[in-house]
Amino acid sequence: MLEAIDITKTYETRGVETKALRGVSLAVADGEFTALAGPSGSGKTTLLNLFGALDTPTAGKILLDGQDLGELDATALADLRLAKLGFVFQAYNLIPVLSARENVEFVMELQGVPVADRHRRAHAVLDQVGLADMAEKRPLEMSGGQQQRVAVARAIVSEPRIVLADEPTANLDSKTAAQLLGIMQRMNREQGVTFLFSTHDPMVIDLARRVVRLHDGEIASDERRE
Amino acid sequence: MIVLRLAWRNVWRNVRRTGLTIAATVFAVFLVVVFIAMGDGIHSKMVEDSVRIQSGHVQLAGAGYLENRTLEYGMRWTPELEAAVSKVEAVEAWAPRVTSAALLSVDDASHGVLLIGLDPAREVGLSTLAERVTEGTFLPDDVPNGIVLGEQLAKNLAAEIGDEVLVFSMAYTLQNAYELFTLTGTMKLPDPALERSFAVVELASLQTFLEFGDRVTEVALLAESAADVPDIEASLATLDLAAAGLEVNAWDDVMPDLAQFIVIDDAGMYVLLIILIVIVGFGILNTILMSVMERQRELGAMLALGLRPLRIFQMIYAESLFMAAIGLVIGLALALPTVWILGLNPIPIPGGEEMAAAAALVGMEPVIVFELRDSTLPGAALTIAIVAALAALYPAIKASRARPVDALRSL
Repeated sequence: MLEAIDITKTYETRGVETKALRGVSLAVADGEFTALAGPSGSGKTTLLNLFGALDTPTAGKILLDGQDLGELDATALADLRLAKLGFVFQAYNLIPVLSARENVEFVMELQGVPVADRHRRAHAVLDQVGLADMAEKRPLEMSGGQQQRVAVARAIVSEPRIVLADEPTANLDSKTAAQLLGIMQRMNREQGVTFLFSTHDPMVIDLARRVVRLHDGEIASDERRE
Repeated sequence: MIVLRLAWRNVWRNVRRTGLTIAATVFAVFLVVVFIAMGDGIHSKMVEDSVRIQSGHVQLAGAGYLENRTLEYGMRWTPELEAAVSKVEAVEAWAPRVTSAALLSVDDASHGVLLIGLDPAREVGLSTLAERVTEGTFLPDDVPNGIVLGEQLAKNLAAEIGDEVLVFSMAYTLQNAYELFTLTGTMKLPDPALERSFAVVELASLQTFLEFGDRVTEVALLAESAADVPDIEASLATLDLAAAGLEVNAWDDVMPDLAQFIVIDDAGMYVLLIILIVIVGFGILNTILMSVMERQRELGAMLALGLRPLRIFQMIYAESLFMAAIGLVIGLALALPTVWILGLNPIPIPGGEEMAAAAALVGMEPVIVFELRDSTLPGAALTIAIVAALAALYPAIKASRARPVDALRSL
């Protein structure tokens, strides 16, 4: 369970304060497939960062399974992210000196998964995202869409409890986007993995079973679908 | 393992920048090793030249002799002492000597000198005095009361081979002593000041002249090199020589001016080398810091994926050490053969008489000698490792404190 309790986030740039979130409270239960939607500047990426323990709120609390993330130091937060969270960044953020397979194996290697198991799982998930033949290519040798697919593969291969995805379909054609979303939906249904998206993409919003719309740093609507 | 793999690959991300940093390290290592070998070689030669003319590597003397240098502090070189010293493994040769101040006079010219009495047979393999004779013969058996003078001293006295030299001194009995000696040879010495005031006679002649009986003022002990001096001192310490009224003096106690010159000369060279190494350190710092600044987003992403800050720190450190290690290996690979070749082929200092005279002012022969000591390589490696470690400290701390949120900030 992810919970944001009365979260405020203020950025200060050259003495000018900008409120990205204004007293947001939101609970995301295990197994949800939720989209955070809203125009640019609405605060959806900020909220996603806070849920992922990548940033700290100016006021309020973020709880993961009841644990206040504000009480953890940098090392404990890194361990928590490694154990429970998977990330898909809009800018991919693949490690340029590692091949696609090594990028996919990166989290598993940190988790101490044995080499043979790592290789098997990495090849399987790269095959799922249609990049089996690109396994030994480095990020700079791949297109943006291919890199995004590797980033998704990296996020899901270690089967985290929660995947936080920032515009995961932004650089994909509709067919590949549908294919990746299908993989994520199946993981959500079959393994109970929680997905929380920040997105503009109508395809993602249509597939989400819950859509939280943000506007000017506040929750404008919270729609659940069956 | 992932940290080392990432570090190694990161080193080669910007080949040109890494290459330049490594080249600077290679250059520094090469210069450090070659310059230290040159300094050590020159100093070793100065020490070896001096110990083979004067004190030996270690000098055994009567207690108080070093401070007073008078016959009053003479010692007896007994067969028991001789046997005990001969058993010291690091002692390659030994020779008893008598040293006294004296006034030499030829016709109207006279000059104060350091007069050494020695046994030519025992000096073979120990001192180089016989080899330094440029004219005449070194104390031949068939010339009683022979004397050999420094070349410049002979010139100052206008003495020719075969001339009689009147020697004045004060005997052990505190009576005035004077005797005629025959000039059998002149010798060239590396130290011009010494050459102007150095005279050698046969040991027994001097003992008789000074009414010194069978006493000597010192026994010069020669080791294979100055590095063996501590071994000799340790072995002699077990003989309880103090109880016998004797003292053991290393060459740097006997020739403090030379020891001090070497320390000052080393200090000057090390200051230059430290400046060079600091420049290299800034080169490494620049490369690593630039690399970290360019990778803020990537480092943030690694933290977001669960890599601990400490491992980011280790990765940056490993990058710095990898570059330093490569520079060190290549630098040593170039420096060692160079020093080895130069060690076998000392370089004459060009510049003719003038340069020879300038070198002589500090007791040097006009030749550059190279010597690689056991401590040079570990010293160079340790220095480069410390510099690399210090240079990486700030970038590594900065990298480990990267905020994961920066990974997403580009949106």
